[in-house]
Amino acid sequence: MIQKVKYSILFCLLILSNKDWAQNLYTMQFVVKEGATRFNFSDTLTLANDSNDVQITTLKFYVSKIQFLKRHKIVFEEKNSFHLVDFSNAASLQIAIASDSKLSYDELRFNIGIDSATNVSGAMGNDLDPTKGMYWTWQSGYINFKLEGQSVLCNTRNNEFQFHLGGYMSPYVGLQTLIFPVKNKTKVSLQLDISKIITSIDLAKSNHIMSPSTEGVLLSKIIANSFTVYHK
Amino acid sequence: MKKKIVTLAIFCVVLSAYRFVKEALFVVPVNFPEPVYDFSKNPLSPPKILLGRALFYDPILSRNNTISCASCHAQFSAFTHSDHALSHGIDDKIGIRNSPSLINLAWQRLFMRDGAINHLDMQALAPIHNIAEMDENIIHVVSKLQATKIYPKLYYNSFGDSIITGEHTLKAISQFMLTLVSSNSKYDSVMRDQSVFTDQEKNGYLLFQQNCASCHTEPLFTNNNFSNNGLAIDTSLRDLGRFGVTKIASDSLKFKVPTLRNIEFSYPYMHDGRFKRLSQVLNHYTLGIKKSNTLAKELQNPIKLTSNEKVDLMAFLFTLTDKSFLYNTSFAYPKEVFAESTK
Ligand code: HEC
Ligand code: HEC
Repeated sequence: MIQKVKYSILFCLLILSNKDWAQNLYTMQFVVKEGATRFNFSDTLTLANDSNDVQITTLKFYVSKIQFLKRHKIVFEEKNSFHLVDFSNAASLQIAIASDSKLSYDELRFNIGIDSATNVSGAMGNDLDPTKGMYWTWQSGYINFKLEGQSVLCNTRNNEFQFHLGGYMSPYVGLQTLIFPVKNKTKVSLQLDISKIITSIDLAKSNHIMSPSTEGVLLSKIIANSFTVYHK
Repeated sequence: MKKKIVTLAIFCVVLSAYRFVKEALFVVPVNFPEPVYDFSKNPLSPPKILLGRALFYDPILSRNNTISCASCHAQFSAFTHSDHALSHGIDDKIGIRNSPSLINLAWQRLFMRDGAINHLDMQALAPIHNIAEMDENIIHVVSKLQATKIYPKLYYNSFGDSIITGEHTLKAISQFMLTLVSSNSKYDSVMRDQSVFTDQEKNGYLLFQQNCASCHTEPLFTNNNFSNNGLAIDTSLRDLGRFGVTKIASDSLKFKVPTLRNIEFSYPYMHDGRFKRLSQVLNHYTLGIKKSNTLAKELQNPIKLTSNEKVDLMAFLFTLTDKSFLYNTSFAYPKEVFAESTK
């Protein structure tokens, strides 16, 4: 009997301490290179792009399938890993990932966008809810990345440009996997260079991408190459 | 011991009754294949089906609260828009396609005449956002629903949460549409040996199997593929069908093969509603096939039918009418829900 009690206490202790271990939090913080780390897009972000000012009014994208690797082997993969990063919502710029154990890793991997299996799985909730405005309504599919703004270079109504990138069906697959060598950090800042994206586009000619296309896939790749790990 | 057996027996009865109740919400007809829809991701329940039915009939889904799904998908015409070649939406705007009937959607993989929608759940977003249909926005729909008296309660009964989300809205609409199963036509009862064809219907059935069944495949009367059935392009619409989605040249002028169930009541016919009567459709297949690069191989050589054979074929097509579907009261406007809201 006493033996039993002893074991139960031990067991409880184990569970309790285990709970403590579950507090291993890893955070990814998204920032834009162009200044403020947290800016509110109710004010627009102004880029000095050569002599032509460019204002960004919307910047939203999906981060999914977050993985930590050690020597190319996955040591931790977040479950149900879908996050909408929206620069008009400061709270969404930081993604906290909880792990049961302390992670020893040398590589961080994640996707920008939504994989094809999820794209054909019907209605989903939370960050994947269609009320998040990241779903094409006339032709099914998630919008992986949304970049909208204004530039005098755009000969459009209110000089607007809109880039809605996505696509999950061959040949227009927009999903991008990003891989960064990062060692055991509990906080990783990822910086997006918007100027690099904008200067890669000839805004006078191309100011609307609203469906899966060759142009959209190309821009998705440029965007993927515009993220870097930011060391303060 | 005896007691144990009795308890066990009761347990079994309860269990099987439970299974029966569960399955009764969606029965796979004996002559049908397994459905495509993954019910495990959206298990049917009576309150969810009722919620979906209310949403289907409620014009609150449109910008000015005038157009509901049922405006273009009316039960008496097998959930299409009878008499309208091109669908008719908000502010009397005319769309670009004929509204299809909504029948046996659980067996369908792609939706719309060009397959632009990849899952039944996502279908409702298209008309809600289309400026010529409902011209609304799902974000606004959700907030309008939240502000009503009836919906938070219906969502709570359905999902255990009175906070309305896009996900729950779409899933509920799917639930109602999934129940729109038509499997009780004369054709079905003949297949189940409960009835027999007349000689005329029997001959029509043979002609159908020879000329039509490769695309309009039994028992769903569609093979769920996209084909060019030789319609001359309407130069004002310039609708290239499946090509618009895939951008693959070989998909040009291909449209989804529609079901022929309840065809008697789902006129006008084809993606642009160009034919008002079935006789015109048959004349198209015998005389009107327009050759083009993507024309289906089955239609390269004209289908030959005498006028008597056309009558027989039509008699067979009428055996696909399912009155128990067209007049099923559980698919109708849910008075009981809306009566509640005016109290
Ligand atoms: C203004 C008329 C209109 C309204 C309102 C409307 N639809 Fe439709 N519906 C159509 C047309 C037209 C099509 C075919 C469009 C196409 O192929 O591009 C269609 C297609 C569909 C399909 C695809 C069927 C198939 O076999 O592929 C479904 C399902 C559907 N609608 C459900 C709904 C629901 C649910 C609503 C309400 C949220 C709704 N519709 C509102 C006109 C309408
Ligand atoms: C090569 C495939 C193919 C064959 C064979 C074929 N059809 Fe069709 N059928 C289609 C397609 C595709 C459509 C839809 C075209 C559109 O939407 O414009 C269609 C549409 C129809 C429609 C209109 C349905 C609606 O709801 O609008 C009817 C009726 C019909 N076919 C009857 C027949 C009959 C009867 C035969 C045999 C004589 C036949 N079809 C043979 C492919 C085929």
